[in-house]
Amino acid sequence: MIDEPKRERDRQFRTEALRWLPEVARFALSLTRDESDADDLVQETFLKAYEAWGTYTPGTECRGWLFTICRHTFYRRRHREERQVTCDDPELEALAAASVHASARHGGFEHLFSRFDLSDAIDQAIAALPEPFRDVVLLVDVNDQPYEAAAVTLGVPVGTVRSRLFRARRLLQEALIEHARDAGLVRPRLDADTAAREP
Amino acid sequence: MRGFLSWWLRWVARWRRASGDAAVSTHATSDGMMATSHVAPGMGQAPMLDCESVMRHLWDYLDGELTPDRMVAIRAHVEMCTRCYPQYEFERSFLDAVATSAREHSALDGLRAKVTEVLVARGLQQE
Repeated sequence: MIDEPKRERDRQFRTEALRWLPEVARFALSLTRDESDADDLVQETFLKAYEAWGTYTPGTECRGWLFTICRHTFYRRRHREERQVTCDDPELEALAAASVHASARHGGFEHLFSRFDLSDAIDQAIAALPEPFRDVVLLVDVNDQPYEAAAVTLGVPVGTVRSRLFRARRLLQEALIEHARDAGLVRPRLDADTAAREP
Repeated sequence: MRGFLSWWLRWVARWRRASGDAAVSTHATSDGMMATSHVAPGMGQAPMLDCESVMRHLWDYLDGELTPDRMVAIRAHVEMCTRCYPQYEFERSFLDAVATSAREHSALDGLRAKVTEVLVARGLQQE
């Protein structure tokens, strides 16, 4: 005997949830940084999603819902509590970006991000961020989630998403500029005095 | 070039989302940003902002998280400001580099098969 409601429910799950598997896999990989662990995490995420499919409202933001399950599963597996982070004023954080830019200009790194492939360095710099900052970068900057969707996934207000995100970007930029300096990617500008002494 | 295209597509998507949000907002102009009364030629009614206001909202602008009025006002400023434009370019290229740095799963087909197998074992009906 065919169970029509179940068949319809399963069809919806296949079309609405499973279509996001590549995005969930990317998110899981960015959290675990290991493909085998990511596989396990993705499987568990979709199993939980399937079992909770009755609580999902068809037509709403399914990708964000899956990210939420994925992230909660990841942290539950690691038995780690999310650290509370002091929430600064996001607009002050935004203004602080100007000082990073000024520093980059001064050091000759103004075109660093457009001229060099920094993929590996960015990957490492994101991984080195404290968890709350890393999570918001992964959601907004890597997986293109709007602030509001990221706030739902993280269970924090939108203002907290903004302040964490802007701080995280500043930390990443500082780390990448440091990396570029150490790797000698861009020769620092000579100041006027030094330049005058050059033969 | 691929990077710029990717960023542009993301930005347009976010702009559309912002436009949609604004359609239901009746007070889009009460944004708390400092605006002067100067209107640049050819910029319609978009108010010109001072540099500090633009800097405060530059990330929101790049993320497409502002209302259309704010987006237009900041774009008008950035396009003409020799102080703000370099920073805008710096931040935009940074976001582009981060967005395109993500590692992709190398065996998605295999993973999809594994996930489907587990779900079928749990009762999911196949097509």
